[in-house]
This record gives sequence, C-alpha cells and structure tokens, in this order.
Amino acid sequence: MDAFLTSRNVSDLLGGVTSGVIYALVALSLVLIWRSTRMLNFAQGAMAVFATYIGFAILAPTTNYWVSMSVAIVAGLVLGGVTERVLVRPLYGKPEINPIVAMVGLLLVLESIAAAIWSTSARALATPFSIVDWQLNHKPVALSPFALYEIVTSLVVMAIVAALFQYTKLGLQLRAAALAPEVSRLLGVRVGRMLTVGWMLSTAVGAVTAVLVASNFFTGLTPSGMDGVFAFGFIAAAIGGLDSPVGAMVSGLALGVVFQFVGDYVNSNAVILVALGLLIVSLMVRPNGVFTRSAQRRV
Amino acid sequence: MARVTRSGRSVGLILTAVAVAIVVAFSSSTRLALALGLAVAVLGVGATLVSLPAVRRGHPVATRALISVVVVDLAILLTFRVSATSDSNVAIGAAMSIVLLGLSFLTGSSGQISLGNGAFMGVGAFTVGIWADHHATTPLLAVLVLATLAGALVGLVLGLPATRLRGPYLAGMTLAFAVAFGAILNVFSSWTGGDSGLQLPSAVVAPHWLASFFGPGASALATSSAWLADISILVTGVALFLMANLFASRTGRAMRLVRDNDTAAELVGVSLPRARVIAFTVSAAYAALGGALWTLVNNSVSPSTYGFVLSITILSLVVIGGIGTIPGAIIGGIIYAFSAGAISWLTAHLGLNPQGNVASQLDGIIFGGLLVLTIVFAPMGIAGLVRRGWRRVRHG
Amino acid sequence: MIVVDGLSVSYGAVRALQSVSFEAPSGEITAVLGANGAGKTTLLRAISGLVSPLAGTVSKDGDVLTGRRTEDIVRLGVAHVPEGRGVIAEFTVEENLRLGFMIARGSLADALAEQYAIFPVLGERRRQAAATLSGGERQMLAMARALIARPSVLLLDEPSLGLAPLVTAQLMQQIRELCARENLTVVLVEQNATSALRIAQRAVVLRVGVVVANDTAAVVRDDENLRQYYLGMVE
Ligand SMILES: Nc1ncnc2c1ncn2[C@@H]1O[C@H](COP(=O)(O)OP(=O)(O)O)[C@@H](O)[C@H]1O
Ligand SMILES: [Mg+2]
Repeated sequence: MDAFLTSRNVSDLLGGVTSGVIYALVALSLVLIWRSTRMLNFAQGAMAVFATYIGFAILAPTTNYWVSMSVAIVAGLVLGGVTERVLVRPLYGKPEINPIVAMVGLLLVLESIAAAIWSTSARALATPFSIVDWQLNHKPVALSPFALYEIVTSLVVMAIVAALFQYTKLGLQLRAAALAPEVSRLLGVRVGRMLTVGWMLSTAVGAVTAVLVASNFFTGLTPSGMDGVFAFGFIAAAIGGLDSPVGAMVSGLALGVVFQFVGDYVNSNAVILVALGLLIVSLMVRPNGVFTRSAQRRV
Repeated sequence: MARVTRSGRSVGLILTAVAVAIVVAFSSSTRLALALGLAVAVLGVGATLVSLPAVRRGHPVATRALISVVVVDLAILLTFRVSATSDSNVAIGAAMSIVLLGLSFLTGSSGQISLGNGAFMGVGAFTVGIWADHHATTPLLAVLVLATLAGALVGLVLGLPATRLRGPYLAGMTLAFAVAFGAILNVFSSWTGGDSGLQLPSAVVAPHWLASFFGPGASALATSSAWLADISILVTGVALFLMANLFASRTGRAMRLVRDNDTAAELVGVSLPRARVIAFTVSAAYAALGGALWTLVNNSVSPSTYGFVLSITILSLVVIGGIGTIPGAIIGGIIYAFSAGAISWLTAHLGLNPQGNVASQLDGIIFGGLLVLTIVFAPMGIAGLVRRGWRRVRHG
Repeated sequence: MIVVDGLSVSYGAVRALQSVSFEAPSGEITAVLGANGAGKTTLLRAISGLVSPLAGTVSKDGDVLTGRRTEDIVRLGVAHVPEGRGVIAEFTVEENLRLGFMIARGSLADALAEQYAIFPVLGERRRQAAATLSGGERQMLAMARALIARPSVLLLDEPSLGLAPLVTAQLMQQIRELCARENLTVVLVEQNATSALRIAQRAVVLRVGVVVANDTAAVVRDDENLRQYYLGMVE
C-alpha cells in the first residue's frame, strides 16, 4: 500500500489533481460570465491578481493570512461589480470583438498598474500550511499539507457556487437571467443586477484562485502570474464547454492530471503543445464543448 | 475638370516616381539631394492627392500602387538621416505596419480577432534566425518569403478550428498560443537557442549589385542602418500594395460579406469556413513577415521579444489606429515608431525615475488605457475619427 | 382594470401601433384580435414595459404604468405570458414555478400546492425538465407560473398557438373560470378569433396598428363585416 501511494503514477495523479483544481476554478470563473453575458473575460486573471495584491500587499505583510484572503475576496467582488457596471455595460449588443478588445485592454492596464505599484518581482505570501510533502516510510507522497489545503479550498468554493446556483433564490434568478433574459424580466427578475452579481461572483472565485496560486512557494505573487494559468483554464473551459459549469470543472481537473503525466513521462515543455493540440482537436470535433448538450447550443 | 484631374494624375505619377528615385539613390550622399528629393516628393504627393478620386475611378490597381509608393516615399523621407536610432525606429515601425495590416485584414474581412499575432511574428523572426544560422548566403528576398510561408503554415494549422468557431473561442485559442509561445520555442531549443535566442552570423549587407549600381559612394549606405530601414520600408510598400488589392478583390469583398452577415454570404455562395481560414492564414503570414524584418533590423532574435505583451501591443495599435482598415494599420505603425521616444519624453517631463517601476510600466498603462477608451468611445479608432471629421468638413 | 389611452409604438420606421385606446375591465376577458402583424404582441409588450411607446399611456387601476421598468410593472400585479409561452426549457417544472413566485410573499409550498391543484398534470411532472412537456402542458406551466404570484392582470399572447382544438377548448374554459374566480383582468390576444370570442366579454380588433372595433364580444361576433374582412372567420 505504501509503495503504491508513493509510486510514480499515484504521484502524478496527486500532482495533477493539485493543479487541476486551479484550472477548474479558472474555468468555472469564465463560465459564470460566459453563460450570462456571452463574453469571455480575458481580464479574468489580471483582475484576480489585482484583488490578491489588494489583500496581501496593501495590508501589512504581517496581517493574518485569512484576513488577507477575505480582503482579496471582497476586493474581487467590488472589482467585478465595478467592471461590469462601468466597462462592460456599454458593450452589450456591440460586435463580439469589442468586449474582447476591452477586456484585453483592461488586462494590460491592471497588470501594468500592479507592476507599477508593487513591481514585477515575485512576492512570497506566508502560507498557512507546510509545502513539504508528507512521508511514508521515508519516501515522499506527492501531497503536502498545502496541496491538500489547495484541493479542499477549491472543492469548497465549487460546492458553494453550485449550492448557490442550485438551491437559492438568487441562484435561480442568476440562471434564469442567463438562459432567458426577457422572460426573466417578465417574471420580475432584475436582469441587469444579475449580470453585475455574476461578474462579482466570477471575480471573487478568481481572487480565491489567484491567492491559491500565489500562496505556492515556487511561484509567488506577480502581476502577470495568472497569464499561463488563465490560458490553461480557458483551454479547460473551452474543451468542457463554456456553457457547462460542471463540464468546465471536470475538464479542468482532467487536464491537470493529463498535463502532469505528459510533463513527467514526456517533457515539461511538451505540456503546452499537448494542451494546444487537445484544444484544437476538441474544438474541431465538438465546437461547443464536450459537455454541452446540443439543445443548449447558441451560436 | 476631367482634363485637369487627368493631367494632375500624370504629373503626380511622374513627380512621385522621380522623387522616389532621387530619395533612394542619393539619400545618404549630399544635403542638396536631400533637399531636392524632399521638394519633389512633396510636390508629387500634393499632385497625387488632388487627382486621387479620378485615379481611383480609372485605374484602381495603379492608384493602390501610387498610394503605396507615396507611403514608401514619406517613410523614407522620415529616415532622413537624423540618426541611426531613428532609422531603426522607422524600420521597426514599418515592419509593425505589415503586422497590423494582417490583423486589420483579419478583422475587417471576417470580424474575427487574434490575440496571438505577436507569436506569429515570432515564427517569422525565428525562421530567419534559424535559416541564417544554417544558410548564411541565401538571398534576402528568399529568406523573407520563407519566413512568410512559415507563418502562413502555422497560421493555417491554428486557423483550422476557425472553420467552426466564432470570436471568443478563436481569440482564446490565439491567446493560449501567445502565452505558450515561449515554452514552444523551448521545446525546439536546439534550433531556437532556448532563452538566449539567436544572433545573426553577420550583419545584413546590401547586395553587391546595388552597391555597384549606385557606384562607390553607396558603400556607406550598404552597411548602414539606413539601408535596413529602406529595405523594411520597401517591403512594407509591397505588402501594403498587395493588401490594398486583396481588400478590394472579389475575395476581399466576399469576406466582408461574411463578416457582416453569415446567411447572406452563404446565399451568395461564399464558403464561410474557407473565408475564415484564409483571413486567419493571411494575417499570420503578414505577422511573420514583420517579425522576419525585425530579426534583420536587430541582427538577432530573442524569445522575450515575442511574449504575450507584444500580442496585446499589436492589438492596441491596430485598434487605436482603426481596426479593419488599411489607414488604421499605417497609423498604428507610425504610432509604434514614435512610441518609445514619446514615452521617454513623457517619463522625463513627469519627472519619473527612468529605471523605476512606474516608468517601466508607463507604456502598458497608456496603451491599455487607450485601448479601452478607444473601443468604448471610438471603436473605429483614429482612422474612423478622421473619416468622420472629413465627411463633416465636406458636407458642412 | 387596464386603461390604454392613445398608445403609439414604432420600431424605427415601422409604425406598429397608432393611437390605440381601449379599456379592459376587471373580472372580464378582453379579446384582442387581428391578423398576423396587426400589432397584438406589440400592444402587450407596451403594456408590460418591454417596448416604450412614442405616445400614449397605459394605466392600471389609476396607476400609470408607462415609463416604469418591466420588473416594476410585474411587481404591480401585471403578469404577461409571452408569445411562445416563455417556459424555460432547461428548468424543471417546479423551478419555473419557483421563479414565478420570486416576487410574491407567503409560503411557497402553499402556492405550489394551489397551482398543482388547478393543473394536476404539473404536479405529476414537477421534477421533469420543462423541455419534456407537451405543448398544452407547457401552456399550463406558463399560466401557472404567471398566476402563482397572484397577479390582478393577466396578459396572454396567443395561448392556443400550436394546440389541438380539444386542448384549446379546455384551455379557454380554464381561462374563463380563473378570470371569474380571481376577479382577474384578462387581456387575451388571439388569432383564433372563434375560440377567443366564445369566452370573452369584450373584444378589440386591430388592423395594422389601428383599432377598427372595440365593443362587446357578442357585437363583434355577430358583425358580418368584421368577421369576413378582419378576422378571416369565413364559415
Ligand atoms: N422587433 C421588431 N422590430 C421591427 N419590427 C417589428 C418588431 N416586432 C414587430 N415588428 C413589426 O411590427 C408589426 C406588429 O408586429 P406584432 O406586434 O408582432 O404583430 P402580431 O403580434 O399582431 O402578429 C409588424 O409589422 C412587425 O413586422
Ligand atoms: Mg404576435
């Protein structure tokens, strides 16, 4: 049993899940906005990083990790809401490239401002848990207390979002506004407000993700630190289907595992080629995602 | 009236041709030639502009050629020997114009957007670097064509999903390509030189026939940065001419139909998937050509140049200039040529520490901010604003 | 009671309604009839604030509705079942009803039970996706979803569209009973004039955006000209 737990394949699996949950969170964050506004938020990573800087850099570095995390989440809620109201709202009904361009512009502005204020050098966050892997019979298991915390936190966030959407009145309205805006208005749903709430939620999920990524000792917090994670998260969401929250999360998790195996057995640089290849092939075969039922498709 | 414009056209054509000849031939020799060339060129441009509407009706291809020549002419005048640095700025800006033409065509003809044209530039840039490493004697033109083809090939592969995808998915895919480009280069590090990139074995010199054609006085020209700038500008002129024809061609018009209305296009018998892939491939090829010129001008190629930020910068330039239009791409290239200077001027005037965080991020903040403001308040960019202003002037 | 006064609506250059005026009293069904493109849907959309009129007003029991947002008009008790029913196919039957109850107060369970009593088939299918319902069942769901918030005005846009004659007859019967029992103001838009006039007390006939008749249902029913030229009811 011990030998099994420390074997190469199990290590890869554990490592893959640890990064997969992150991709799943990014994918979830993208799906939240896509479903309601048909926009892909290219500034998702930059907004998340910005919220994280607010939580961990503006407050004194000695502040408690959990307080900083909470501040980052609140900052995410505010940033998401303000972005929707100020920047996104004038773009509804415009050609589909206009919001893409606007969000890329926002990405550039936020990353540059973050770098101007806090510099481009990585900032280490005091992690609440050890990043040293557990040992079994003097052999490391590919899982540290921090990795476990990362996985659990991600799953909790996903569960909270799922419960919110499935069981609350707000969730019902959010789903209705996304699926049928006009009918929803006829039933009294304040659709504009729902769009704002969707952006707030998405950015808050992003903030948690960025905090988790930045808490990792090896990466730390940098202004452009989410660019690569965003790319993988987008690939996951596109493969799973931007319309399907469950599909996006499952595919994020699966990609994390696949990449870990590819990186271990082939070459770590090959991961990105495999990712692009998977994306191209899956988009050719199922342009709206593997998990999207054809009934839900919209062009 | 007709006679006046027709003669205006001939005068414009002749004067411009003379101006180009003078400028190219004697550019670095004497101040007298410089003054002469400038005067004739200005005359030529003026006459051309006067006769433009008539020319456009009569000979569209000739008109496009003429406009390309005028642009080349003006750009070469720009390089007039202020300093080697400004020469290379103009060369870099001209090459950027090519990249912007490609992206402008993609959006203008198919309504799609690419966030990965910086990486496509990288494909061209590294093709030149790798080729020069192995075959130092290949003629310049062949190297440029090769780099362009390499870009087209990569663009074709990445563009295949474009047959079935629309906007955001495609944009996301190109973003992933842009972000991943550094890692992809590392996969082939034995060719690409890994993180340090490649140095061209020797500076690109003017071919002997050029030197002998212009006589011994041209030897200085043959190795100077001015010569590279001229090459870059001339290639830009050719690219501009081809693109103007492509925009106006049956294919180009059919593609605009695709952009404006999918159903109408299909009724007219335009194949949507093919139109989209063609647009994407052309835009990648143009980006690669621009990147190839950058390698020639810089005499080296480094992976860090072709990161994600470059792709965003390209998008910013084309949007600020006026996306989907040819003038927009040229304006974007001009902005790029002057942006470095403008930003250091701004840094100095704001009293910022040039080595500080804020100064180093100023370009990102400004470009990003302008990008957002443009797309919200003036989605057709500077070209759109100028056109609207011009219309208002003409119609009162 | 709904009072429509001088209502004009246009879509760009297309004038869809031209000075439309009529009253729809409480406890009665007012049928709005007219050929395809006459402006019936536009009229309902203007009442519930989905389009804003060029001129004219709509008021309900003395409150002016015009200029308010749809979300607020709904909260004043105006329920609008749109053309095509507007059932959210991805939602279950019960989720659709929960959404309808969102603006109401009181016990959701009681309200659901009440609707399931009126429309038993919905109770049987409460956990099924609305996509799996038949056309008639969907129309019932749309009505139940509108009624669950206890509105005082019910706007129905072509409820019989795509239903078999027998189902249509049952539906009309149900509308009549509901109207009487709840003292509802019902505005019933129909192309199917025969079945609408059978249950309506009043009728408004539109022709390219203009009211050509506004009278009791019986008068409209017996007017040979109206029947032939505007309602296409040639027997
Ligand atoms: N969204 C719209 N844009 C432009 N014209 C419209 C729109 N909706 C309806 N119309 C036009 O308004 C007129 C009335 O339409 P409508 O109210 O749907 O009629 P009805 O419901 O009686 O069939 C028609 O001529 C129709 O073409
Ligand atoms: Mg209708």
